[in-house]
Amino acid sequence: MTPTITRTKAEPLIGKRVKRREDPRLITGTATYVDDIQMPGMHHACIIRSPHAAARIRGINVSAAKETPGVVAVFTGEDAKGVGPVPCGASLPGLRVPHHYILALDRVYFAGHPVAVVVATDKYIARDAADLVEVDYEELPAVADPEKAIAEGAPAVHPEWPDNVAFNFHQEGGDVNQAFAEAEVVLKQRITSQRLIPTPMETRGVVAEWKSGDKSLTVYSSTQIPHLLRTLLAGMLGLPEHKTRVVTPEVGGGFGCKLNVYAEEALMGFVAMKIGKPVKWIESRRENYLCTIHGRGHVDYFEIAAKRDGTILGLKLKLIQDLGAYHQLLTPAIPTLSVLMMPGLYRFRNISADIVGAFTNCVPTDAYRGAGRPEATHGIERMVDILAAELNMDPAEIRMKNFIKPDEFPFATATGLTYDSGEYDKPLRHALEVAGYQKLRAEQAQARTDGRLMGIGLSTYGEICAFGPSPATPAGGWESATVKIEPSGKVTVMTGASPHGQGEETTFAQIAADELGVDIDDVVVLHGDTAVVQYGIGTFGSRGTAVGGPALYYALQELKVKIKKFGAMLLDSDDVSFEDGVCTCNHSGRTCTLAEVSGAAHRAMKLPPDTPPGMQATYFWEPPNFTFPFGAHLVVTEVDRDTGQIQIKRYVAVDDCGRIINPMIVDGQVHGGVAQGLGQALYEQAVYDENGQLLSGELTDYAIPKATMMPWIESAHTETPSPVNPLGVKGVGEAGTIGCSPAVVNSVVDALSGLGVRHLDMPLTPEKIWAVIQKGGQA
Amino acid sequence: MIAQDFNYSTPATIEEALGLISGGEAKLLAGGMSLIPLMKLRLAAPGHVVDLSRVAGLSGISEAGGAIRVGAMMTHYEVESSALVRARCTLLAETAAMIGDVQVRNRGTMGGAVAHADPSADYPAALQALEARVTIAGAAGTRVVSVDEFFVDTFTTGLEPGEIITGIEVPVEPEGTGVSYQKMLQPASGFAIVGVAVRIRKEGGVISFARVGVTGLGSRAYRAAGVEERLAGTAGSASDIANAAAVIADGIDANSDIHASAAYRAQMARVFGARAIQAAVNRAA
Amino acid sequence: MKISGSHTVALGKERAYEVLQDPAILARCIPGCESLDRIGDDEYQMRMKMVLAAVSGQFAGKVRIADQSPCDSFRLIVEGSGKAGFMKGEGLLRLSGIEEGTQVDFDGDVQVGGTIASVGQRLIDATAKLMIKRFFAKLADSAVE
Repeated sequence: MTPTITRTKAEPLIGKRVKRREDPRLITGTATYVDDIQMPGMHHACIIRSPHAAARIRGINVSAAKETPGVVAVFTGEDAKGVGPVPCGASLPGLRVPHHYILALDRVYFAGHPVAVVVATDKYIARDAADLVEVDYEELPAVADPEKAIAEGAPAVHPEWPDNVAFNFHQEGGDVNQAFAEAEVVLKQRITSQRLIPTPMETRGVVAEWKSGDKSLTVYSSTQIPHLLRTLLAGMLGLPEHKTRVVTPEVGGGFGCKLNVYAEEALMGFVAMKIGKPVKWIESRRENYLCTIHGRGHVDYFEIAAKRDGTILGLKLKLIQDLGAYHQLLTPAIPTLSVLMMPGLYRFRNISADIVGAFTNCVPTDAYRGAGRPEATHGIERMVDILAAELNMDPAEIRMKNFIKPDEFPFATATGLTYDSGEYDKPLRHALEVAGYQKLRAEQAQARTDGRLMGIGLSTYGEICAFGPSPATPAGGWESATVKIEPSGKVTVMTGASPHGQGEETTFAQIAADELGVDIDDVVVLHGDTAVVQYGIGTFGSRGTAVGGPALYYALQELKVKIKKFGAMLLDSDDVSFEDGVCTCNHSGRTCTLAEVSGAAHRAMKLPPDTPPGMQATYFWEPPNFTFPFGAHLVVTEVDRDTGQIQIKRYVAVDDCGRIINPMIVDGQVHGGVAQGLGQALYEQAVYDENGQLLSGELTDYAIPKATMMPWIESAHTETPSPVNPLGVKGVGEAGTIGCSPAVVNSVVDALSGLGVRHLDMPLTPEKIWAVIQKGGQA
Repeated sequence: MIAQDFNYSTPATIEEALGLISGGEAKLLAGGMSLIPLMKLRLAAPGHVVDLSRVAGLSGISEAGGAIRVGAMMTHYEVESSALVRARCTLLAETAAMIGDVQVRNRGTMGGAVAHADPSADYPAALQALEARVTIAGAAGTRVVSVDEFFVDTFTTGLEPGEIITGIEVPVEPEGTGVSYQKMLQPASGFAIVGVAVRIRKEGGVISFARVGVTGLGSRAYRAAGVEERLAGTAGSASDIANAAAVIADGIDANSDIHASAAYRAQMARVFGARAIQAAVNRAA
Repeated sequence: MKISGSHTVALGKERAYEVLQDPAILARCIPGCESLDRIGDDEYQMRMKMVLAAVSGQFAGKVRIADQSPCDSFRLIVEGSGKAGFMKGEGLLRLSGIEEGTQVDFDGDVQVGGTIASVGQRLIDATAKLMIKRFFAKLADSAVE
């Protein structure tokens, strides 16, 4: 049975473009980020990092640094080796997990590897003294390319595993050999998804405070997962979990890179405990680029099998994942998500996938907006276009032909998922209509006659959201909510899904206000402090609203039962209803307000039968399944023949993320996602040289799209409610990123198809495109 | 991202500023769009920073004797938005408007940019095309240097230790001059992969005057004399322009980095050169 | 990064070959060289202060000369490191007599690491060329003396 939202008489807020309530403090500069935290006696840390990608540490001389006035301590790997390793939460059969010390012990594995930390009374002294730490390195050969790393004779990243293979993973479904045997067309393509740097506006930062009197540690960190961080940090530092508190102040963007537990978080805890004073470390942008996880980093070999009528029969994939030097929290799990989403929105049920996880002398990769799904979607959507081109079919038509049909849901995929609901042709048809597809094709034909290179590209993406059923999520995939009605009738919501820019302070207030019939200004949403909020999992994988929302919904339902009990008592009735914040006796029509009910529940002069005082409910909700949003993006491009520059003429995005709580926030998520998708398609690339030096080490060389580089996004939505949760929501945080890059690349390949171009790897830099044109289409 | 300790002075007069830098170890701060990031990265660690922002006589934009004088401390935004520059030396205003981003244009100064001589900076292309002159104050007095002499090499200028740029002089453009600055920008930094500034005058339907300045391609911004020669006397047809732009990179050892190879840069100089010439020809009366 | 180029020295080939390996002259001509001390056969310890526009940095390193084929070619191996990062370079210098004196062709590989590699990408190529240019300009001056 699917519960439905109870509508109140007042106009519901769900579905309204309610302005984000978190924005005034963010816009006016009154929000508190980690670096805004000041404490009496607070010290400052500066971390010394390896300039080499691979080296043995012959010695570290800290004496000059230690003698600097104002420096209170210098710690090296030897001092901190008792702290537990940086954790990897993912497990795969046979996974090789290198011991990840918080400071390098005798060897460094990537440029930026933390080697020592200087602690001083102010940050300027700490920085100056850091220059006085002398580290004697014996440089070793390094390898920065995942394919080279797993080739014969490559330098070993970890000497104990000379093949640089961290794991091999195989998954298959159906009978792929049969599918390929029956195929009338088989096409192969190597497709890469380059390393990206997540680049949140706020870099990471940590403040740690040790209260020696009660032996408790408080860590302020810019993280997406305060509770998981607390559990894991307590373990690393050997502290009882209940004496460890994590506070997440404002987080200036995460995009997955703060869905992690980092060496520096434990290091600051270690330092605070050693010096008995609070200590602050704020990551510089350079450190952020060198030492915070990167995303993507795939080399994929795809093979697709089909019939000549365009029916896809099966797909094979060999995926080489650039892991970097270590496993961070979810590093090895990310490519397995790519495998899960390999079939996309299509009906074929024969797949075979092999992942090779390759160690390289680079910073680890991990979750970055989309985390495995953009790579999968890019792959399948490119392969579908390559197939369409081979068969001379229209890319829209071949997609329609292979879509899972609405009456086939729930649909069991070859990768073991059960898609919840979908009408996949709806957003595509909508996008084609909005764009004027037939007219665009006519324009394109004319453009070609005129010698112009115009392209039309589609992607119809599917994504897996609402992570997720707990068995599929290493630390649990449920979410929690507490709703408190204060004696005055004001409402406090506490969510375990610590948001960091997704706007849940608004959307969750909309849900609570609708359910309780109160003004949105009477609701406050708290999050991010483990001493305040009940245990929760966090915000990532488009799960905030899709898992945290239903938890809130169910907590509200529990509370409504109690409200009615107190209402009945106050109204001396056995039949009351609760709507619009008012309890009404269905016999007499007498009413009492929520404030009266809550006041009575708190004063507790009299209690309803079998009802304890107070007005608070906490709900932990376990989702029965993932949700599967989908959509269609259509991109019109024109390529400048002389320069290779790409102009985006139209960008149409039709997304279906289930029921929409706040269309403005959903549009914002789509816009931000598309910006990051465009970044990957056109501009961004973490460039390491062959020795493991990060060449794109600052914003002067790593091109994130700026406002002036963004096209106008014609955004629209279809709404196919999810049956998985009572709100019908699916999640939208990553959709834009997932849908974007294949649509852009398909469009540019389409523009150049007249030259015989079949595939282009990202980023589509002008020089790359120009070179292809020069060579008459030979990439 | 914390600079090393340094002393900081804010002189009020040129004389005072010259006195402060006479030792040779001080660095001048003129906006700080390049110096401050370098200091924060500790790639630069001057012991003494002399901020020119309060020095009298380094501001203002004025016209005298057929030239426009731009005070060295005028921001890019002040140059871009100056009614005088827009009307009388359009190329300079249009070039200023294409530098970096709004924030950079609001803080960065013309004198600072010229003194830094970044090989990918925008101004030098326009200044080469404008045959601009740099006014320099030193202990021995004031001297005026043509930009062609001034821009020596990558980050290397004719500015001697102990000298300060006080202003830049550009000619008042005669009516009918067609100008254009066209640039391919590097999307991360906004610097020019290549940028070409062009001035064209026509007489009796043929090009009587052509000046072409190029930035981003080589070790310094330069005037493409070969292009100018090929343009002179032609009608400025598409084929004339293509023929002229073809030699824009001749003799230049082109730069190369992760954003653009030397060969691509050279080709883009030809393409953007042709576009800038075409635009200037179209605007020339 | 590959680096190659060609410069002319107004000296006879034999003299040019000698000059290019003379530590006293090298010390004068390497831009920013503060000291160059012999630590072994054809091996020297070097301290230099690189100054370019606002950028300045102290580097300490080694210079080694190898594969000498008198008057025709030799290999130069340079490495240095400082707070700003490190660099390693290796190149073959080939000398040929021409009318104006001697043409020196060099062809090598430069590896740069640390801050300068990560944030100076755009300028490494141009800077390397400039340093080499300065070296040969000074060499020309020294040779005249």
